[in-house]
Formats: sequence, structure tokens, C-alpha cells
Amino acid sequence: MSYFLQQVINGLSLGSVYALMSVGYSLVYSIMNFSNFAHGGVIMIGAYIGYFCLTLFNVPFFIAFILSALGSGLLAVSMEKVVYRPLRKRNAPFLYFIISAMGASIFLENIVIASPIGPTFRSYPAVFSTQPIMLGEVALGRIDILMFLIAAMSLIGLMYIIEKTKIGLSIRATSYSIRGSTLMGVNVDKVIFIIFLLGGMLAGLAGMLFCMKYTVYPQIGNITTKSFIAAVFGGLGSLPGAIIGSVLLGLIETMTSGYLSSQYRDLIAFVLLIGVLVFKPTGLMGKTTEDKA
Amino acid sequence: MKKKFSTLISVLLVLTMIITACSSGTDAPAEEETIKIGWIGSLTGDQAVWGTCESNTVKMLIEEVNESGGILGKKVEGIYYDTKGDAAEAVNATKRLASQDKVVAIIGPNASGQAIAIASVLEEYKVPDISTVATNPKVTVNDDGSVKEFNFRVCFIDPYQGAVAAGYAYDRLGFTKAAVLYDVASDYSQGFTEFFEKTFTEKGGTIVAKEAFKEGDVEFKPQLSRIKDADPEVILMPYYYKEVALSANQARELGIDAVLIGGDGWPSEQLMSMAADAIEGSYIVNHLDFNDPEVKPLQERYNAKYNLPMELNGYMAHDAFLLLKAAIEDAGVADPVKITESLTKVSVEGVTGTIKLSPEDHNPSGKEAAIVRVESADYIFQEKYGVQ
Repeated sequence: MSYFLQQVINGLSLGSVYALMSVGYSLVYSIMNFSNFAHGGVIMIGAYIGYFCLTLFNVPFFIAFILSALGSGLLAVSMEKVVYRPLRKRNAPFLYFIISAMGASIFLENIVIASPIGPTFRSYPAVFSTQPIMLGEVALGRIDILMFLIAAMSLIGLMYIIEKTKIGLSIRATSYSIRGSTLMGVNVDKVIFIIFLLGGMLAGLAGMLFCMKYTVYPQIGNITTKSFIAAVFGGLGSLPGAIIGSVLLGLIETMTSGYLSSQYRDLIAFVLLIGVLVFKPTGLMGKTTEDKA
Repeated sequence: MKKKFSTLISVLLVLTMIITACSSGTDAPAEEETIKIGWIGSLTGDQAVWGTCESNTVKMLIEEVNESGGILGKKVEGIYYDTKGDAAEAVNATKRLASQDKVVAIIGPNASGQAIAIASVLEEYKVPDISTVATNPKVTVNDDGSVKEFNFRVCFIDPYQGAVAAGYAYDRLGFTKAAVLYDVASDYSQGFTEFFEKTFTEKGGTIVAKEAFKEGDVEFKPQLSRIKDADPEVILMPYYYKEVALSANQARELGIDAVLIGGDGWPSEQLMSMAADAIEGSYIVNHLDFNDPEVKPLQERYNAKYNLPMELNGYMAHDAFLLLKAAIEDAGVADPVKITESLTKVSVEGVTGTIKLSPEDHNPSGKEAAIVRVESADYIFQEKYGVQ
């Protein structure tokens, strides 16, 4: 039993990282109907901002978090301005958005490799001890608890903004119909600015938490493949769906590794993705629209 | 203009012919008096540090040998070529050494890629080569398992570390229950694991858990939870320092207190900065330890002569040279084919352990490895240890 509980804890901790990343995908998808593959690059830059804040400038841990969130939020917004806005103004097909996003992601990864930062991996200064908190036989990592709490808090904050504020209302309106909400006087540019800012900030938080737990290197953005699967699994465009999909994916992966074999882990994750796309194309909680690619 | 140019070319050509004719003329009698030994390796590029150390060591040893009367009463002459870390360059250098310089044997190169590439040239000219730190099993054996006649090495192969780790864990540390976490995507890690399992179970121990991950993974807790459930006394981690740091930290986070053991992929500054606490008390199997008292005299001679720190490659080059010297003396004549035959007959006490090459695979058999323990974020030499 304690073995099962331990794997549940492992799964939840992995799932909470996926969740912070996948809501970024879902936010952008809900408005712009394309998968922003550059999200991984933003996560990576956020992680580096946090790393250099802590190591070079010795700022307090909490401030580093805020700076990393702001920095990556800013990056996401400026990428929207430079990369996506021109496409949007020309009504370019969605495929162009996806290709530009991939280009942006490769650009970000390689600019870090080419810069003095280089391709070597770096480790965050040890903020927490590796000594676990033991609940009977079950070990709780300190950093895992922090990750779970921060993920939960920021996701609740995000849900609040979307559901209860005026800007949230315009985000929801825009997600139903860009044209319709423009006619109703919603400033779509502003809405898109906000979702990239929010998604970018969450990406910064996710990047910093993820790299504190593991390590920082230019390819960490690749982890977003998994959070993308989680977002599709839960239903692209739906925030609760992204969160539920992430937690489920985290649990399924750990259970596969824990009870079958870790070699089957990715196999099962991707079979799941295909299965969802075949039997329930909109995901567990997805919006029922047909034209989304 | 065109005519002038072609005249110039022909004059140059004639000159070249005269010069080469002259030089081969003067070379011929010299061949009788000296024994020529070739060395190849990287003197430029990112492996230059290692190559420079190797060639310096060989130069120093040749000087020492010549001062004490040479080999078989003849002076030894070293010829050194840069491979620039490139396999094609290594092939060219080997060709030149074998066909033009007529060396009796070649020492180097340090990298497996280059050592594998030169095999056909060695066979064509029938000249033996002793590589220094080329640890890939394929350097001395073909894909079908047959031995490459003219390729030898003085380092042990990657998987052998697994046998040493298993022997040490069972015999010296007294562990009977071991677990393995390994990288399925890496030959190095798989070979290491295979030899570890084989030796550990043959000695009477049991492998209580064997878990895999793929290179690039960062989350090891599901596998480690399984390992924790199996309650091992020692966990083998045969992969490189990045994954070692992550998995060791995560093991401690899960409350696993088993001793960790690993190979030459471990030692690095990064590992200490990331996981010094988690790997405290762990054991590492390595080719050699710089603090081993037996390697000190060579280190001091080298430092005094070149005022440079000595790298692992220098010790290996030293042992390769010792082995070659013994083989030439055993053959009694400076003939490449005779020397090739003697290389598997002689046994020498090198600074990196006793070296006796096996005729079946041309690897040093039962060579000792250095066992190092991690104590207070430092690598502390324990002893030399080998298994048959």
C-alpha cells in the first residue's frame, strides 16, 4: 500500500509540472486555435532568468520567482508581436502559425547555445535539502510540495482572472468567436496580449520550478511535448481540461513505470494521445468545435 | 605567362624529386641503427590536452631509454603525427608511419573512433598498434567476435568496469543484494550492467531490482520507488554524471539509504556541485587515481620536465610504451610481425596495474581498476582492485 501511495505522490508531483506548462498551450489555443510550440522556449528562458537571478545577483528566492515570471511573460508578449501578429494581420492559415512557432522555439534554443551561456547544463543552488518529509513509509520531497502548492495557487489565480474579472470575460468571449467579439467592441489585440502575458508568466514559473527540481539546459523545452499531450488529452482550449489531463498523464506515467516497466511509459502516453484523438477528438473536456487543427 | 607558370611547376617538381630522393637516401642507413616508434593522437582540437600529454610522455620515456642504452642496444626514435581528433587524419598518419617512416609499432590514438578506423591500414602493412584510452570493445575485435590481429590496447574496456564494481561490492564491501538503474539507450550503460549482473550473481549475490530509463529523462522516482521496495544494499548507477546527480538526489528524496556505485562516467565538478550530499559514501570504479602512491613517481618526473599536470592519457601512454619495450625485447628483433606476436606473451608492471594482453581479444586481462570513495565532496583513493 505504501508503495502505491508513493507512486501516487510521484505522479502528482510530475502532473503538477505538466499542468503549469499545459495551461499555457490551452490559453493560446482557446483564442488563436493553434498550438504554440514556442512555449517550451519561453519555459527554458524563464528557467535561465531564475537561475541567473539566484546565482549572479543573489536576489532572494521569492523575488527571483517574480522576475522569472515577468521576464518570460515579456518574452512571450514580444514574440507574439514579432512572430504572430504579422501573420494574424494577413489572415495567414493556421499551418503558418504552427511553423512559425516551431521556428521560434528552435531559435530560442539555439540562441542560448550560441550565447556565452552555452549548451552545458547547470544546477540551481540548493534551496531545499533533499531530506524528505516522511509520512510513515511514504516520502514527500520538499521541492515537490512547493511545486504542488505554487502550481495550485497560480492555477487558481488564473481561473479567477478568467471567470470573475472583466478581462476574463473578454477572453472567454474571444475564445467563442474572434469576429463576434470584435463586433461587440472587444479589443482582440489586448486580449491576445493578456493571454500571452499570462501564459508566459506561468511558463516562467514552471521553468524555474522544473529546473530547480532537475537541472537547467537549453533543451529542457522538449519536456513540453508531454504537457502538450496532456493539454490534448484534457481537451485543447479548456483550462480545467489541461489541468486534469496533466495530473492524469503524470499518474499514468508513474504507474506504468512503477507497475509495468519504464520502457512502456512513453509508448503508453502516446497510444493514449492517439486513442483520445480517435475516440474523443475534443479531449476529456474539450470544446465541441470542428475546425480546430 | 602560361608558359612561365608551367616552367616554374616543372622546376619545382624536379626539385621535389631531388629532395625526396636525397632524403630517402640518407634514411636508408639510419634504419639499421635505430628502432622507430610512431605515435598518433590529437595535438590540435578539443582533445589536444590529452594528445599533448601522451606525446610528451612518450618523448620523455624515449629519452630515458636512450640514456640507459636503448632497446636491444639500439637507439629509439619517436615519430609523432597529429590526427586533429579526426578518423580520416588518423588513417593518413598511420599510412605514412607504416609505409614511409617504416615504424615497428604505433602507440595511440586515444579515441575509439580513430582507433577503429586505422585497423585496415595496420593489417595492410602488418604493423601493430597499442591504443591508450580507446575503451570501446570494437577497437580490438570485429563485429563477429574475431580478434583484430594488429590492434591492441592497455586500458580496460567499458563493460569490464561492471565486473570490477560487482566484485568489489560483493567481496570487499560484503553486499549480497544489489539493484541496478541503467540507461537503455546507451551501449556503455548496457555493457556495464550486463557484466555487473553476471559477476555479482556468479559470486552468489542477487540482483533484487533492475530498472531502466532513457537518456534525457529527468524523473527517476517511479523506478527508484520500485528499487526502494526491493530494499537493496547497493545500487549500481552506470551512466554519466548528469543523470547520476539527478537520480542520486531523487533516491535520497525517497529515503533510500543504500550505497551507490558507478564508473568512469561519474567524476566531474558538476556532479559534486549538484549532488555532493547524495553521493557521500559512494564508490567509483576508475582507470586510475591521481592520488595512488604508485603513480606518484611518474607524475613527479613529468611535472619536473614539462611543468604541466599529467592527464590520465599520460599514464596510459607510459604503460603502452613499457609493454612495447618488453615486446621488442622478447621478440629479440625490431620486426613489426615478431613484435605483434610478442605483445600477447609479455607481462609488465605498469603504473595503471599489471598488463598482460589476452590473445583472444587483445585486451588487458584481469587488469586492476582504481576504487575511489566519495568523502566530504572529495574523491578518496581506496585501493586497486581487479577480477579475473
